[in-house]
Amino acid sequence: MNKNLGFLGFGTLFGFVLSRTGASDYDLIMGMFIGYDYTLVGVIGTAIITGAVGMQVLKKFKHPIKSGEPLKINAKQLGRWSLLGAGIFGLGWGISGACPGTVLAQLGEGKIYGFFTFIGMIFGTYLYARLKEKHPSL
Amino acid sequence: MILEIYRVIFINPWPYWAGGIIIGLLVPLLYYYYNTALGVSTGYGNLVKILLPAGKLKWIKEKYPDPWNWRVYFIAGIILGGFIASALSGNAGFTFDMGRFTTLVGWPAIAGAIYFFSGGLLLGLGARIAGGCTSGHSIHGIANLHISSILATIFFLVGGIIAANLVQAVLMGGIW
Repeated sequence: MNKNLGFLGFGTLFGFVLSRTGASDYDLIMGMFIGYDYTLVGVIGTAIITGAVGMQVLKKFKHPIKSGEPLKINAKQLGRWSLLGAGIFGLGWGISGACPGTVLAQLGEGKIYGFFTFIGMIFGTYLYARLKEKHPSL
Repeated sequence: MILEIYRVIFINPWPYWAGGIIIGLLVPLLYYYYNTALGVSTGYGNLVKILLPAGKLKWIKEKYPDPWNWRVYFIAGIILGGFIASALSGNAGFTFDMGRFTTLVGWPAIAGAIYFFSGGLLLGLGARIAGGCTSGHSIHGIANLHISSILATIFFLVGGIIAANLVQAVLMGGIW
């Protein structure tokens, strides 16, 4: 199937599940950080375990990738500022009660404040592009 | 019977493991079909190139030669999925409701808009400096046992815990 259409389909499944499982719910994200509701810890934890088992199973396939290409998984490299960036991301996560995936599900759910988080994310990415002009080590 | 199945899938909140299993399966599935690592936040660079006058910035020029690639379709899909979920549960439509933020903070909408925009700004900037977000680092990266992603996730959580507890203490009537 056409790659773009495939990703539209997988994205739709992802957004649907994020919404149904409460990952796009402001109160549940706050609950995970403040400690009154650990539903999303369960969601993320189950996702990590399932993903890890799934990858081990995939590696046993004769053709782990349908097209027959070899499977090559790149770890993200940490630069000098990466963990500072991760901390900044975390502050945004705790303020907005959303992350880059769940804010999109919020948009689909019609949450108006989620729209502003989304616009903020686009400008935050733009800000990164501007900062990187002057500071290539970012 | 059919009504009951509909209710379980489309109306009742899902148990955490049901969502976790499907989200986790996306990691091997995207490799199997498209040899691609699960990740969302990189796609916001596509949106920057499409929506803002940023084509001259070196990073955008080098990293996003074609902004209309699969990442935009993935983003569009997630939005569509959120819409379908809320429409089928009978909650479609625009709303200012944001749970405890709307019930406890009581700010005018314009202040709320600036508040969430600021949060988004930090998410966008932080994700790019960190090299990924909850999906790319925390789910894809940890599922593949990448130390860099485990470290990034620890810092995501530290930031989130600090910010959420500050918001709770300052705006929502004190420490939980």
